[in-house]
Amino acid sequence: MRDPYSVLGVSQNASDDEVKKAYRELARKYHPDNYQNNPLADLAEEKMKEINEAYDTITKQRAGGYSGSYQQSYSSASAKPVYARVRNLINAGDLGQAEQLLYGVGQKDGEWYFLSGSIAYRKGWMDAAMQNYAQAVQMEPNNMEFRQALSLMQQRSMGGYRPAGYHSVGCDPCTTYLCCSLCTPWGGPCC
Amino acid sequence: MFGYVRPCCPELKCRDFDLYRATYCGLCRCLRRQYGFVASMFLNFDFTFLALLLWEPEDRFVPCPGRCHVNPLRRLPMCPDSGALELAAGESLILVWWKLRDSVHDEGFWKGLAARVLSWLLKPAYKKAVRRCPRFDGTVRDCLEELAALEKENCSSLDRTADTFARLLQSAAPQEGNRGRVLSQLLYHLGRWIYLADARDDLEEDKLAGRYNPVAARYGPGGDDGALRMTMNLSLEQMGAALQLGDFGCRRPLLENIVYLGLPLVEQAVFDGSWRELKKQKIWRNIT
Repeated sequence: MRDPYSVLGVSQNASDDEVKKAYRELARKYHPDNYQNNPLADLAEEKMKEINEAYDTITKQRAGGYSGSYQQSYSSASAKPVYARVRNLINAGDLGQAEQLLYGVGQKDGEWYFLSGSIAYRKGWMDAAMQNYAQAVQMEPNNMEFRQALSLMQQRSMGGYRPAGYHSVGCDPCTTYLCCSLCTPWGGPCC
Repeated sequence: MFGYVRPCCPELKCRDFDLYRATYCGLCRCLRRQYGFVASMFLNFDFTFLALLLWEPEDRFVPCPGRCHVNPLRRLPMCPDSGALELAAGESLILVWWKLRDSVHDEGFWKGLAARVLSWLLKPAYKKAVRRCPRFDGTVRDCLEELAALEKENCSSLDRTADTFARLLQSAAPQEGNRGRVLSQLLYHLGRWIYLADARDDLEEDKLAGRYNPVAARYGPGGDDGALRMTMNLSLEQMGAALQLGDFGCRRPLLENIVYLGLPLVEQAVFDGSWRELKKQKIWRNIT
């Protein structure tokens, strides 16, 4: 494993606060929410894992046994077995097969549109993804998964993660992050 | 390509500005050396961005002085020839060639004459570039053919038409390994964004000329700026996310400037109509 301090980009004698700050910045950058349904999600996950391990190692070394890193896993359940198969295919990145399987389904319900939107998103077809997610929410307004996908997409269109110093005029990161304060790794507002 | 990809110069650090300029001048020299004087006239900012992306991350920035052929009295710092520059030069030549062939095909005899002459002049250089990047040439030809077919059938899917140009640009980088994945994701969305920006820019013109325009086909003759911007911003967001996962060494701050500041600025200008003015602005104006 790489030196945990170089993973976080801080020196060995950085204060606890500095380590925490560096960890938070990196966790914000590679947060799973930024890469949800992104074809590069696995690379971001690896980075996140590396950062978490580095932070854990440092905090353990310094405080003995304490671990404050952030972990999250996504789970979702499907009503129809064919949808579960489509989900697996999407997760495996086999979009052609997933699309074929989905188009074989006769009746289009909310989940059909949601999955169709997920495939489009993965492919980078953002316009189609937005339309399909909106349709899914319209058909099943109470489904949290569909609503979350749509609102995440709307948030992203206002700008995703940016390193410090690259915030364009008219885009205040704090207000965008406040509306989804649960999205920050520490479960609160970003500042 | 169209010159949409440029940095936001007031926000650049001096060393990043020097790096950008040296890459630009280096690419110009590389084009001239390998493909002749006519080829170097087609140099633009988009290809400079491509060269910066393709550069090996561990390569440090070591400029060496070279003579500017536009003004041979001036000596400027230039990046020395490298694999990335040669690849970017070859690929830009192939793209320029196909764009010229496209104009020859679309315009009438007299209007297309200039394009015909230029493509005739560039033919030997094009053949040389094809020998270097045969696969890229094949992809460009296929994607442009696909695009022409979609335009003919008046395709109303914005994603589908943009996808052809996005895949075209995606094939500009080697696809192998994690680095290849990051680059192809970044270039896919860059291609998508460029295609949509260009479509929005041509909206009025196409309406008057009665030509096909993907934005008009999707949202109606007036377009829908809100929805279009949203989908373009999503592509920008995907580019940023990919950029953070790649290793770009000393070129990262410059690439970040282009993706996070330059492109949104150009997008803004395309939507509020000031792009035609901005396009003419030289970014080297503060150098004497």
